[in-house]
Amino acid sequence: MMEPSFSLSELNRQVRNAVRDALPEAYWLRAETSDVRVNRNGHCYLEFVEKDEEGHSIIAKARGVIWSNIYRLLSPFFEQETGQQFTSGLNVLVQVTVDFHELYGFSLTVVDIDPSFTLGEIARNRQRVLKRLEEEGVLTLNRELQLPELTNLIAVISSPTAAGYEDFRDQLENNPAGFVFYTKLFPAVMQGERSEESIIAALEAIFQYGDFFHAVAIIRGGGAASDLSCFDSYNLASNVAQFPIPVVSGIGHERDVTVLDVVAHTRGKTPTAVAEIFIAHLMKTATEVEALQERLVSCTQALLVRERSDLLSLSNRLVHRSLLFLQRETAAVQHIATGARHSFRQVLQKEFAYMQEAMITSRHSARRLLDEERHRLMQVKRILHHASCEELRDERHFLENVEQFVRMVSPANVLERGYTLTLKNGKIITSSKQLHEGELIETRFRDGDVTSVVQTKGLVEGD
Amino acid sequence: MTKLSYSEAKKELEAIVKSIEAGELDVDLLTAKVKRASELITFCKEKLTTTDEELQKLLEEMA
Repeated sequence: MMEPSFSLSELNRQVRNAVRDALPEAYWLRAETSDVRVNRNGHCYLEFVEKDEEGHSIIAKARGVIWSNIYRLLSPFFEQETGQQFTSGLNVLVQVTVDFHELYGFSLTVVDIDPSFTLGEIARNRQRVLKRLEEEGVLTLNRELQLPELTNLIAVISSPTAAGYEDFRDQLENNPAGFVFYTKLFPAVMQGERSEESIIAALEAIFQYGDFFHAVAIIRGGGAASDLSCFDSYNLASNVAQFPIPVVSGIGHERDVTVLDVVAHTRGKTPTAVAEIFIAHLMKTATEVEALQERLVSCTQALLVRERSDLLSLSNRLVHRSLLFLQRETAAVQHIATGARHSFRQVLQKEFAYMQEAMITSRHSARRLLDEERHRLMQVKRILHHASCEELRDERHFLENVEQFVRMVSPANVLERGYTLTLKNGKIITSSKQLHEGELIETRFRDGDVTSVVQTKGLVEGD
Repeated sequence: MTKLSYSEAKKELEAIVKSIEAGELDVDLLTAKVKRASELITFCKEKLTTTDEELQKLLEEMA
């Protein structure tokens, strides 16, 4: 038995009627935009998607369209309100009518949009990313780096053709102080879905040079509102935050502070502003050198002045002290001299007195000695006189005896008594042997001499 | 002097200035120190305002 059947168009018409009947009004829809494209008639076609909690897999999807008459009004309004192009990857709150077309199928037609929702979503997303970076402890790493004092070697991540890049270079080159800057471009796509990946690749290329570069500038031309979502991306922010060289951002966005701006070492609103940051930094560095130079000059002068005044004061003290010393010494010498003269006189007087006394004493004692000696001599004399008288008497007595004896034995006395003396040539002869026959002899008598000749000679018996 | 980095030069310069300011410096050394400080100042200023042709060339040759 044949059940009644529909042609496809009949069925689709039934679906269309059912959808229209069931969902007759316009409804507010929360969804993420995807695959947004505008055709040459000004109609905007896109996909609405919903992702799971983790944001990995798509759990719902629907085609959408914004007719050109709506899109012409809606797009500028959205950009003005959010500072963000109407593009893919945005969480949007749109008012849609639900349509089903026999040929084109299910589709959501956008009739209105609430930009504040997107703003809120962007802000929430930023908060989420920042919180995650903070939890991972990397949020402030790049901010904590020190921009070297001499920061003039700059790696630039930019689109090579961007006007912002030219502005940046012009600003650096024409800095009024005449500072030298060296820039090296690391080209990257700065817009759209590929930008995140492209910027990270550029960072990796810079990383190859180690600490050769002093800073990295991530810049993008300003002007019309553009897709900023990549600058809120966790991956890019994580790379920048952990980059070992200070990163300065200048992505041409006046109103919002993207996650990149937060994690970057310094944020400039525009490329020109970034250039100004570098110029100002070198200005500070140069000022420090100038200040050091001034300090060097002033402290050197101060040192010399002080040394000179020290010298002067030393020489003054030297003169002063020397004079004082001389005065004191002169006074001391004078004092000593006076003292010495005085003492000398005293000594002299004392000596003189002593000598006088000695003279008196010695005269006195000499006299006494003389008296004593005289006395003693007189005594001796007396003793001698006495003793010599006695001796003389004895001697006289002795001499008288001797005289008597001598008288008795004298030849005259002997001759008296009859004895004679025989002499030859005046000499007494005592032996007959002394005489020879014929010789003349004298014979002495008491009363005269006789001369005789020896006749004979005879020996007495016993001789 | 060529091997010296900017920050090294600056540090040395600061140290010299501080030592003179503190009055620790012997006057006998002053001339030499001031001469060195002047060299360092010139070096720092040159780093800021004079193009290093070698560096420029190196950057141009970078792939």
